[in-house]
Amino acid sequence: MPDDALGRPYGVPVRREPVVPNGVLGMLIFVATEVMFFSGLISAFVIGKSNAIGGWPPPGQPRLPVEETALNTAALLASGVALYFANRAFRKDSPSVKPLLGLAIALGGFFVLFQGAEWVALIGEGLTLTSGQLGGFFYLLVGTHALHVVAGFIILLYTYQRLSHHDLDRFTFWPAQIFWYFVVGVWPILYWQVYL
Amino acid sequence: MRAARAVMGSAVLAMAWAANLAYACPSCASPLEENRQAFVDTTIFLTVVPLTMMGGFVWWLRRKVRERDDAPEIAVPQSMLRDAGRFSKGP
Repeated sequence: MPDDALGRPYGVPVRREPVVPNGVLGMLIFVATEVMFFSGLISAFVIGKSNAIGGWPPPGQPRLPVEETALNTAALLASGVALYFANRAFRKDSPSVKPLLGLAIALGGFFVLFQGAEWVALIGEGLTLTSGQLGGFFYLLVGTHALHVVAGFIILLYTYQRLSHHDLDRFTFWPAQIFWYFVVGVWPILYWQVYL
Repeated sequence: MRAARAVMGSAVLAMAWAANLAYACPSCASPLEENRQAFVDTTIFLTVVPLTMMGGFVWWLRRKVRERDDAPEIAVPQSMLRDAGRFSKGP
């Protein structure tokens, strides 16, 4: 077969990768809307806090578990780090990808369970959605984030299942990672604003 | 048509004239300095966040396009494409 000027055989198509895969682009746009959503919630909270008469947190309300949640924050951040290393292992075709992804999922699950236990304790102490501004904002902000963590946890479980069947491709893994990094990245800001 | 435009224009002017009656700015009416500052801070925050995201995305996309354009074009045999499929692990 004769070659062209660049030495390529005629009739062989040149495959060009898209600059950004569709799944990644879609997830980036979705995460951008989520960032704005959380920015709106945090802004509302900051204004509500500054408007509170008698200081913040309002008197007579239960204290939020700052130290325990710091531990939970560390678990979620560690989950993000584990996912980062899982991706590196995935790119190198290393067998450690499975335990690392499993660790990321386990730490995410720990975060959800710990937060559930924290909520049960706080409700027991009288902090409910209708008990005051603190309760309303707390359950709105932290609850919205918890819903995202649960969604991310399910997505990671799905990727783990695909990995177990040797069916995981980077076009599935990347968007899942973007979502999880968003969930992990927004939490320290919420912790700083709501708990501290 | 001209009359309708004149009415619309007058209505817009009248609304602009009476805007101060609406007290639409909640921070302007707040007696708390901390509250006014919070409004200013959150306004800056909500302005900067989308601009940063869009700017960051455009910068990242431009970098990716340049990287791709700088990479040499390599002809890949059809058989290899079939083997790798969408499960190829690229960078």
